[in-house]
Amino acid sequence: MERRTFIELLGAGTLLVPPLACKLRGPIAAGPTNLNGIPTTCELCPNKCSLLAVVKEGRLAKLNPNPENPKSRAMLCARGNAAIQQVYDPDRLKQPLIRAGERGEGKWRPVSWDEAFDFAANKLKAVKEKHGPEGSLWSSTEGFQEVFFKNLGQAFGSPNVMRHPTLCLASMTLAYSTTFGTVPSFDLLNADYVIMAGANRFESIITPDTMDLIGGTMERKAKLIYLDPRFTVTASKADEWHPIKPGTDLAFILAMLNVILTEERHDKAFVETYTLGFEQLLEHVKPYTPAWAEKETEIPAADITRIARAFADAAPRAVFYAGRRSSWYTNDFQMRRAQAILNAVVGNWDREGGMVPNRKVAKGEFTFMPWDDPKASRVDEVEKAFPLANAKDGVYLPLRENVLKGTPYPVKAWMIYKQDPMHALPDQGKTLEMIQQMDFVGVVDIAMSDTAWYADVVFPESHYLERTDPIEVMPGIWPAAVYRQQAVKPLHDTKPMLDIAQGLAKRLGLSDYFDYTIEQWVEAEAKELPVPNGMEHMRKHGVVGFEKPKYGTTRNAVHRFVTKSGKIELFSERLQEAGHDPLPVYTAPAQPPANKFRLILGRKATITHAALTNLPWLHEHNRENDLWIHPEPAARLNIQTGDLLEVSSTAGTVKIKARVTPEIRPDCVFMLHGFGKKSAWLRRVHNVGAADSILLETAWDKVSGNAALHETFVKVGKA
Amino acid sequence: MRSLRLIPLGLWALLLLLGASVQAGEAKGSDTKGKFFFKKSCKACHMDGGSAKALTPLSKTQAQWRKFFDAGKHKGEALSPKLGTPAQLLDIKTFLINHASDSPQPETCGG
Ligand code: SF4
Repeated sequence: MERRTFIELLGAGTLLVPPLACKLRGPIAAGPTNLNGIPTTCELCPNKCSLLAVVKEGRLAKLNPNPENPKSRAMLCARGNAAIQQVYDPDRLKQPLIRAGERGEGKWRPVSWDEAFDFAANKLKAVKEKHGPEGSLWSSTEGFQEVFFKNLGQAFGSPNVMRHPTLCLASMTLAYSTTFGTVPSFDLLNADYVIMAGANRFESIITPDTMDLIGGTMERKAKLIYLDPRFTVTASKADEWHPIKPGTDLAFILAMLNVILTEERHDKAFVETYTLGFEQLLEHVKPYTPAWAEKETEIPAADITRIARAFADAAPRAVFYAGRRSSWYTNDFQMRRAQAILNAVVGNWDREGGMVPNRKVAKGEFTFMPWDDPKASRVDEVEKAFPLANAKDGVYLPLRENVLKGTPYPVKAWMIYKQDPMHALPDQGKTLEMIQQMDFVGVVDIAMSDTAWYADVVFPESHYLERTDPIEVMPGIWPAAVYRQQAVKPLHDTKPMLDIAQGLAKRLGLSDYFDYTIEQWVEAEAKELPVPNGMEHMRKHGVVGFEKPKYGTTRNAVHRFVTKSGKIELFSERLQEAGHDPLPVYTAPAQPPANKFRLILGRKATITHAALTNLPWLHEHNRENDLWIHPEPAARLNIQTGDLLEVSSTAGTVKIKARVTPEIRPDCVFMLHGFGKKSAWLRRVHNVGAADSILLETAWDKVSGNAALHETFVKVGKA
Repeated sequence: MRSLRLIPLGLWALLLLLGASVQAGEAKGSDTKGKFFFKKSCKACHMDGGSAKALTPLSKTQAQWRKFFDAGKHKGEALSPKLGTPAQLLDIKTFLINHASDSPQPETCGG
């Protein structure tokens, strides 16, 4: 079938089934060829590797790594390669859709962009009239065009622009910011001793820094100490694996501090010059002995002492690595603070093989018309309940609670960009309830996510290989400014987020705030890049990066850390003023009752993000998720590998197959994220396996408001 | 571009004259607009390679920024109207104090 005929057919009536007619290879669109590759930037994870898109007759033939970006380490991971399949995915969103049946029924009416814009703008205006602009919620995940979505929400007058960090790393970024005034990078390429807790870096997300870590441990024989209740791929490659009792990482770190400080193994000169609160810290950690920690963590005291000594001896080329993982417990912020303090006292700050403050690449900024600040305060009450958190990002789970209660005011319109709250937030039942109580839900995405499946209007965004985006600075030890330029013309009737924002802005009377083109935006940014003819350079190379790391720039007496005192704050007055522990205090986590298990989660590098499980190349490696359970409880419950299980928590119940394995502690069960989709347009994972978000209960870290994902106890039995 | 809808000038002028600073219970300008006016009015000279020393909010502490605005002088000349209307200056002051080197600045991921 010709593409045009197909699209005309789509326009003819209501769509009940996924648009299967378009084969995976997609239509042949004659167009230019570029065998050297068009320099652009991957969008499939936050690392943003540089790549070269090889194009033959207007079609993407292959994606190659772009060796010009030192930060990308000349690699493109499995996800990065599979991006081609997103473009030619027959399940992709191909034109705007308006819901034709009940929410979630899967009946859609393909419409023109004008109709979709008019429809959404009228709904938004109605909500604004009745509830004020604060009656709208604008939530999004990071991406180079996210800025246009956020700006639309702000220009509309809503204080409720909600970003993703409290579903991700907010507890970590806040803890390191509180201590150092910034979030540093870890020099894994040069570290000799790395401790990692619960961040399964060899298996869950492969990025160039994973390669640094693998290179470090495999080639240079750096030591890797790994703590995890599960025997992961990282555990298998580590020098030591300790199946720590879940929720007790803080006890382990405090005991390490106890050993290092009482044995005076810390870097005295560094502590004296750069830090504040050492005396209080010393007193604070005295009760946290290795013998005490052994009872909490189930790691022998002798091992804790040995690891603490080896860590201090290896410093400054030693790091307690924060990893890239979300937050597990309600004390995650304080656990991260303890990590930061431990790193600080051994003096690994701004040293080769240690923790290095991020450098940036200078770039210009496009100056756009500023809007009035919103009159209402945020519905999540972040400033009151989480005064230290990033108020611009908001706190997602407390926000959902307030929206469901209708306090402090009703929120009745929800615009969502590039995010799938049905899977990104714990307790899917509550997210569904939140959707159902909205007068209007609009989603911008490239595929029919589960959240889109329940929306009223779906705006199909052009794929990243089909668009040009703002230049983005990726700070780090090897900082880079990267450019994403269009490699192929949009295959379907899709638009970039800027055009979608402009379409809506026009109808909402907000055009003045969006009266520019992407080219003008990018040119303003390119003007101040530290290379001659910035724009031309970016078109040709796609990146401006620095080869050579710089160490020690902040190790001088005049440097002022961006903290209240200007020093590295071991003791934090700011925490104390906000009513939190100024030094990390340990409280033992609740344990699952005899007939229950702690549900722990994880990812696999081919499908780190839930949006990727439907792509054929990636799905081939991950067909379905299952529930890991230790042979001991499995025998007690008469469970064998392959049995269908019923798993339930106070939030919900799912059915999932069993995997009986000794590679997990007997008090935990584990499942992979990203399965059990409700959207029939994600055909490979529709009703396949189970969604962890159905089971996860609502819990958050007390200081940052970050969702705490390992606080759920589940009951397991045969279905 | 449409001209900005500005906050009534008289009120802000009065507050500035009284030496108001952005502390609890005190007048606040707009952070968003402050960033815009800072770029327009200050960054024109105070940038790398510019005619004056590069400046960012991090260049001073909150108290230092307060002191600067309370003194109300730039090279011996009154800040307003040279660098903007009183309302615009309050916006700039709000932005600079909110992002000063000792202000709480939790970082974010992406975006
Ligand atoms: S690590 Fe993989 S998914 Fe992430 S940006 Fe690089 S290539 Fe893309």
